[in-house]
Amino acid sequence: MTEDRQLVSKALGGDRKAFEMIVRKYEQPLTSYLGRMTGEREAALDFAQEVFLKAYCSLASYRPAFKFSTWLFKIASNHMIDHWRKKKLPTVSIDQPVDDGDGPLTPQVPDPGPSVARKFELAEIRQKIERALESVPEALRELFILRHVNEFSYEEIADIKSLPVGTVKNRVFQAKELLRKRMEAS
Amino acid sequence: MTSCPRPADLYLYLEGELGPYDARKLEEHVECCPACRDALDERRLLHEAFTTLPPFEVPGDFARSVMDSLPEPEVRKARWLAPLVAAVSALAVGLAGFNLFTGLSVFEVMVAVNSFFGSVVAQATPLAAKAFKIGNVLLKVAGDLVALGFSGLGTFSRILGPQGTVLVIGLGALLSVLALFGARRFLRQGENS
Repeated sequence: MTEDRQLVSKALGGDRKAFEMIVRKYEQPLTSYLGRMTGEREAALDFAQEVFLKAYCSLASYRPAFKFSTWLFKIASNHMIDHWRKKKLPTVSIDQPVDDGDGPLTPQVPDPGPSVARKFELAEIRQKIERALESVPEALRELFILRHVNEFSYEEIADIKSLPVGTVKNRVFQAKELLRKRMEAS
Repeated sequence: MTSCPRPADLYLYLEGELGPYDARKLEEHVECCPACRDALDERRLLHEAFTTLPPFEVPGDFARSVMDSLPEPEVRKARWLAPLVAAVSALAVGLAGFNLFTGLSVFEVMVAVNSFFGSVVAQATPLAAKAFKIGNVLLKVAGDLVALGFSGLGTFSRILGPQGTVLVIGLGALLSVLALFGARRFLRQGENS
């Protein structure tokens, strides 16, 4: 974290190498996040480039009291929101419990039916997750990715998305159960 | 046996996000509830898959292409440096020009500049003294106005009585708090935009 602050400080002083180190450090996590949000590798790389450009141009507004990674991902998240707005993609309200066709997804007692996960090996499960992820509403998908791909804590995600921690936990859970049900159905 | 845990708690348990008391309760329950044990096993496998999703590959020259697309940096210069350089340059040019036109040496020029500044200070001192006097009078008038305001407030509070005064102070504090939060929110929106 301190290293990030030092790099930002150097970059603000005109040291381009310092900003390049920031890019190298965050290019993969950022592309993994954007790639799973867009579902396209090339688009993810373009978006990542735009996010780094935005970050570079507004570097002076970064406050060292906050983690650089959460600041950068906040920019990325806003960039995605702008993209969806421009494309006018259909959005799903996540204030209501998610309905996946089998009725609303609400907390329930674990069912004793045959285990889905055991049917597949881990690699197969990952492939299925990647496929199922595309059908998860973007607002839930984003929180799932930030939590499990980018490994942010719930508190950090709450910072990035300006949401209460409880809401973040609930939506990540909804995303996981939705994925589980989609995989079960496939 | 305790009641079956919520599925959300199974995930939180696997992530280590459940408190120690709740985690122990869940473990105890799972030991004697086959349905929950199966549910936990299933989610454990899923959790393992969730947390080991492969990263997206990034081309080796990606960072280079990002750097090439960036605009030239605006190097932050020390704010005092430019005025200082300008002042020193102006002084040097002035001295050289004076030397050129009058044929005086640099030392003589410096003596002439010194005597010029001396005369300016001599003329400015009485003006400064007058400005100080005027400032003093204005301060006194402002003091009298403040005293008048306080006596007006005293009269106002006597008319309102103690309950009215408390009410007015409370309303004032509430308005101040609202204005403060409003301003903070406004500033935050400005940051986000």
